[in-house]
Amino acid sequence: MTQSALRAASSPSVQPAIAERFSEIVGGQHVLVRQSELLVYNSDGLPGYRRQPKLAVFPGSREEAIAVVRLLAEQRLPFVPRGAGTGLSGGALADDIVVVGLHRMKKILSLDIENRRATVEPGVVNLKLNRHVAPHGLLYAPDPSSEAACTIGGNIAENAGGPHCLKYGVTSNHVLAMTIVLPSGEVVELGSKAGERDGYDLRGAFVGSEGCFGLAVDITVKLTPKPQTVRTLLADFMSVDQAAHVTSAVIASGIVPAALEFMDGPTIRVVEDSIYAAGYPRDAEAVLLVELDGLEAGVTADLEAVRQICLKGGARNVKVARDDAERMKLWQGRKKAFGAMGRLAPHLIVQDAVIPRTRLPEILSTIHSISEKYGVLVCNVFHAGDGNLHPNIAYSADDPAESERVHKAMTEIMRACIDAGGSITGEHGVGLDKMGYMEDIFSAPSLNAMCELRSVFDPERRSNPGKVVPMHSCREWQAVPASRLQFGAEAESPPLQAEPSHPSAE
Amino acid sequence: MSTDRVVSAIEECVASRTPLRIAGRSTWLDAGRPVRAERTLSLIDDAGVVSYVPGDLTLTVRAGTSLSEIERVTREQNQWLPLDPYGSPDGTIGATLATASAGPLSSSFGLPRDLLLGLEFVNGRGEVVRGGGKVVKNVAGFDLSRLMTGSWGTLGVITEVTLRLYSLPQSDRTFTVRLRGNQKETGSLVYGISTSPLTPYAFLLLSGSTSQALGLGEDPQLVIRFGGNEALVRAQVEALSRLCKPIEIDSVTWTKLRGLEYEAHTVVRVSGLPRRFLAVSAEILADDIPGIRTYVDPRRGVLRVVAGHDSETLPPNASVDLRIEPSDSTHVVYEKLDPYVWPLVSPSVASDPLSQGIKKAYDPYNILNPGILGDVM
Repeated sequence: MTQSALRAASSPSVQPAIAERFSEIVGGQHVLVRQSELLVYNSDGLPGYRRQPKLAVFPGSREEAIAVVRLLAEQRLPFVPRGAGTGLSGGALADDIVVVGLHRMKKILSLDIENRRATVEPGVVNLKLNRHVAPHGLLYAPDPSSEAACTIGGNIAENAGGPHCLKYGVTSNHVLAMTIVLPSGEVVELGSKAGERDGYDLRGAFVGSEGCFGLAVDITVKLTPKPQTVRTLLADFMSVDQAAHVTSAVIASGIVPAALEFMDGPTIRVVEDSIYAAGYPRDAEAVLLVELDGLEAGVTADLEAVRQICLKGGARNVKVARDDAERMKLWQGRKKAFGAMGRLAPHLIVQDAVIPRTRLPEILSTIHSISEKYGVLVCNVFHAGDGNLHPNIAYSADDPAESERVHKAMTEIMRACIDAGGSITGEHGVGLDKMGYMEDIFSAPSLNAMCELRSVFDPERRSNPGKVVPMHSCREWQAVPASRLQFGAEAESPPLQAEPSHPSAE
Repeated sequence: MSTDRVVSAIEECVASRTPLRIAGRSTWLDAGRPVRAERTLSLIDDAGVVSYVPGDLTLTVRAGTSLSEIERVTREQNQWLPLDPYGSPDGTIGATLATASAGPLSSSFGLPRDLLLGLEFVNGRGEVVRGGGKVVKNVAGFDLSRLMTGSWGTLGVITEVTLRLYSLPQSDRTFTVRLRGNQKETGSLVYGISTSPLTPYAFLLLSGSTSQALGLGEDPQLVIRFGGNEALVRAQVEALSRLCKPIEIDSVTWTKLRGLEYEAHTVVRVSGLPRRFLAVSAEILADDIPGIRTYVDPRRGVLRVVAGHDSETLPPNASVDLRIEPSDSTHVVYEKLDPYVWPLVSPSVASDPLSQGIKKAYDPYNILNPGILGDVM
């Protein structure tokens, strides 16, 4: 009997035989059954939610991953595929079911410089891929703020974005092909590594499916040539409204910046107080970080045009980074802003919503009113160029009264974004956190169409159960008795658990 | 015409189990595909702008809106939809998306799947479904927009779409370079441009017969389009001039090129690894088959073979003899064929279990364009 099987035997709720069989596939040291060890896997990047998995198994290769999924299928066990656990929608939470962690599958399988594509295992870290291809003058464009930790597999699940998606597009624009394992254990190729195929865009359907359609064991991505020139400017404003109007003016001018990021006064000050201080003016009420890239001549002209728009729009100063070191420093403040907010309070809600870009000034003013109404501090740091807001609230989940106010403020902010014709998530996904809003933006037949699509990939709905689409929206699922499944069968998540951004005190 | 009318039409067909052919403006129709339908649902009257806020660079239109109408409306605001599928500009946006038709601009601005932000469609049960949204970035729910793009109307009838627009560039210029030299010279020029920092909007290699049809002379030509601010375009033209001798031409050439396929009875797209296409493109261009026009997009890795514009000079079954050998690294997609040729190539592109499952879920009575993708069910 292996060590992990012995451990499993001491855990009353998991059948020891199953842990033993996982151990036979991946080795005993890569199966966790002890509650204390599983604590690490009880949350993702949203600290407000915790769910304790039943067991965690970490395949180290394609063959092991397939065997693990096949065993899960044979036993009809529900499971949650997981990358680095940096997600911000509760999508990787496993409530008393199996976690299939893919972080050990971190090989870059092939790199085709000439055709600008790479094939990687799902556990490859985003930034590692970028470092690997950089010497060849290439980059992998999607750059979520968690790039130093998040995995390509996780990026696929969430259709991840990042600042540079403004010009280069989100993950789905950069995925050419995948080998996936359906929850049934069947292995399927989606998309095409070589030429474009016809037929249904199953690759497009899979990207952003948040782990509900199975898991990818290899992924072929498109690489982008590094731009000849990159210039970054920082414009600071004495009012949020001015910066918002300048954002709209830059977009309307027709210039497509590589990135156009917005940070408000509270964010500037918390960043400047932290080890990530980037030299943002502390007394400003907003800064815009604008990056332009491409051929030197074009960038120089656009840079000057953006500078003029900023000055005309009331910018106090416009500073252009002189070299790469200065550029990186300006970016560090932006990319680490969420981390810096840890200084304010023990818990942080990172919100994600999208609005039409012309509504930015109005929505920022609404968010300000809501924050005053509930006496909470909202830090706005977001991808202004594509209207993707991240209003964040730092708070203490140990204070029930404060939690309640935070929850109400966030609900009102989301409501305002929906009313403005926006979306409930631009890049973080629906997961568990946003499920309660799905019925606000999609009709019953639309949600049912999503359920039907999922049912094709996962008829037993065992892969990441209870996420993305509220179960009561799925006509046929209501009829299937949950008793068909083993422990942790998908049940309608009670509204309390699935409540959007509800800060639950631990 | 409204979504309600599409719903009623589908409900009637469901009740009587009548197969339905879905048509936009019927400029491309079913590309000769073997649709088995007794009734046609035309979206020609379901056209017009639903909402357009130029500052958001997004446009929502009814599916029957023609590409030329979209061009007209957006041009008034100094914007455009950089989607230039081959065929007629009178084609509808709904059909363009349903067939995932893309043209020379797609290697810079993306395929139709990348320009579609959200849509409304009516499925085979007569239910109105929406996917995506009206904002430029959105991951709420599973990606029904991409699923519908290229599904040839077999999963639902697209009734409304929201598209991503761009501002018209300050400068937009097109040049040709005559490829008179031997294959090696052509190959190295194309390689040089492809590996240079140039970022053209479009870049195509035309066979001699294609050039001739466009009035560009008998030799193969390289056609290249630069857009952006004045400084960027000027710098790129200068850089190109250091590699070869470009001649500026009227941008109407692009419209003419797209139009070549409208009259054709056979259009075949071969796609593969871009570098492989670079390697063989000189050879492909040199090997000019009379009556058959070819052009290569070396960045996208696509070769298009077009025949039948002049059917009296072409034997009836020449359209299947296109000297295309599929291999592991290439895909051959038949976009348009004579109706009698389809059975010979059996275009069953949705016969895998996942595609079949989706088809059964969205069109359980198999009434939407049955047969257009081969035998799905």
